[in-house]
Amino acid sequence: MTALNSLIAVIGTLIVALLVSVWLPGIERKFVQARIQQRVGPPISSAGIMAPIKFFFKETINPNSPMPKLYNALPIISFLSVLFILLLTMPQLYVFAAFTSIIALVGLLKIEEVIYMFMGSLSKSIMSLKMPFPDIVKGAKHPDSPRSYLEELSSLRAFRLIAFGSFPLYIALFVPVAMTKSIYLSGIVAYQQIHGPVLFTLAGVLGAIVFFIGYMILLNEYPFAILKTKADVIEGPLMEYAAKYRAYNYITRGFLMFVLASIFTTLFLGIPPNLFSWTILVTIVVALIFPILMAVMSAFSPIFTYKQFYPTVAGVSVIGILAIIASFL
Amino acid sequence: MNEDNKMTDKKVIETEITMGTVHSAAIEPYRVRLFVEDEIVRDAEITVGINHRGIERIMEGLPVEKANSLTEKICGICSNSHIWNSVLVAEKAIGIDVPERAQYIRVIMEELERLHSHMLYLAHGSEVLGHETFAMRFFYIRETVMELLRMIGGNRVQYGVSIIGGVRPRCELDEMRILKIREGMDIIEEKILEFADRFVSDPMIMARITGVGVLTQKQAIKLAATGPTLRSTGVETDLRREMESYDPFEFDVITQDDGDVKSNLLVRVLEIPEAIKIIRQALDNLPGGKITNRSWEMQDAPITKSYIEVPRGKLYHSYSLEDGRVRNCIIRTPSITNIGAMQYAAVGHHITDAQLAIVQCDPCFTCTDRAIQIIKI
Repeated sequence: MTALNSLIAVIGTLIVALLVSVWLPGIERKFVQARIQQRVGPPISSAGIMAPIKFFFKETINPNSPMPKLYNALPIISFLSVLFILLLTMPQLYVFAAFTSIIALVGLLKIEEVIYMFMGSLSKSIMSLKMPFPDIVKGAKHPDSPRSYLEELSSLRAFRLIAFGSFPLYIALFVPVAMTKSIYLSGIVAYQQIHGPVLFTLAGVLGAIVFFIGYMILLNEYPFAILKTKADVIEGPLMEYAAKYRAYNYITRGFLMFVLASIFTTLFLGIPPNLFSWTILVTIVVALIFPILMAVMSAFSPIFTYKQFYPTVAGVSVIGILAIIASFL
Repeated sequence: MNEDNKMTDKKVIETEITMGTVHSAAIEPYRVRLFVEDEIVRDAEITVGINHRGIERIMEGLPVEKANSLTEKICGICSNSHIWNSVLVAEKAIGIDVPERAQYIRVIMEELERLHSHMLYLAHGSEVLGHETFAMRFFYIRETVMELLRMIGGNRVQYGVSIIGGVRPRCELDEMRILKIREGMDIIEEKILEFADRFVSDPMIMARITGVGVLTQKQAIKLAATGPTLRSTGVETDLRREMESYDPFEFDVITQDDGDVKSNLLVRVLEIPEAIKIIRQALDNLPGGKITNRSWEMQDAPITKSYIEVPRGKLYHSYSLEDGRVRNCIIRTPSITNIGAMQYAAVGHHITDAQLAIVQCDPCFTCTDRAIQIIKI
């Protein structure tokens, strides 16, 4: 494979990924959930395509933030980290061995997670401001209590999610590693091309279940939407984003859905995303199946508070550990 | 700490989270101040009075018929309750006899309103839980009631059924309307019981609502909680038992013991079949004759009070009459007396459950928001 061919493959795969990913939020939230909820729902293109286009043409306002430029840059950093994850799963880049290892993958995923924490701590929404006079006169039970912003609470929650919420996803990532005895994606893919996909083993099935729960947690989807639940008093770290910065967020979310599906096909099926192979269709199909499953699950569950979240994560993590143990058998 | 070891006496609490008065997660204009320690609510304050509309003030000096119509605008959910109670004040003050058929139609309207209010509560509660599917389905069932209300009153929100001396002629229940109401009741009964069964048998939902927002019976009485919120703590009280209009009907007062979100939901769910029972009795025994008594004359009257049981609890209206015009009008909606219970219920729980604990008392801050407080600074 020449360098030019590789370049075309990488760019082509990225374009295909972007084209598919913009449809995923619409399929997930509007198409599937609306059908379950017996309502028509908006057009399928609304969430992933039309909304970002609309936001790109809106006037940008300065966010209420101590560091507005950094705050506005975070969605772009988030998008770039997701983009790098997709790049490192592509077979054309396996020549950069250390870069295309499971360690790099985990690191980049962690960057994506940490960004929510920064977003929360840098957003000071006007919705949390208190009016001094009525507060002092009407309430006055605890007048000297330090005030916090809703987004600071989101930031704290993002920190907790980084600490424990992402256990299932990262445990699941190590199931193929344990089975193939390689931390390099090239090694994992090569093993599966010889021995068959990891998914078709007991450890693989358990790992896939755990991966899917981790996928939902990473995407902050119901019932794991504690980070930005609207039903709570929290609106999330994204509250102050307007215009094109909100559009970047929307695009990143759809893109992350595709990229996580691509990680799954690479690690559990041995099929990395490659435009020059028919197997790119498998990645696209998995990218479509995951949001549909997620939409069904989230349509039939309430938001979990920590009381439900901790046992769920603990239980799923135990299954993940069992999967790793099973992979040695 | 207070007697239940729930609310703190500390002056400084770790963090204060303020939400509102305008917030994208809140439907109505109210402000919640939550004092939290490690995401656990230690104290809560709810402030209303921001959206003052001054309806009582507008009513001052208006002809009583016009003032009665204005009371419907207080609330978009229990508009019939307001006009009914306001009309009852005038009827009591002047001493007007209301035809029996009109009384039955008023009861039917009130119970239909209770049905849609409770279903709205269930839908909103599901939404706050994060269960959009159940919320949508409850809204879907509620549509049947809304259409029945539109059929009788000609409008989905403000029906204008009660007038002094009876009900409006356009709200007469003919055979076709009676048949439609019966069909509607059959549909609602079947669907609501099915969904309620699914709701309470869902382990994820039960995990979210059991033991959350607990209000003890003692505290509920002390905080002057009313309506289903009070009944959810085991207090068997329902003003309908004392209302003359409800004398002909048999129904059970639903109570639960735990005073938490689950009990509140169950009280309202179980009140739906009772409301259907009352409507069926009213339709079966609907008396004949006139629906309006027009043989009355306006006269001056001192301040007259009227209490009725509306979907959220006790509703109070009072005013005096002077040359056919309303004077000294005071209205108290149930939500204002339930605010203390809401604040109390939120304490001791995770901040994610705070909104649920507030919503369990079925607040309607918009209809509460008429009083204004003038503060000297």
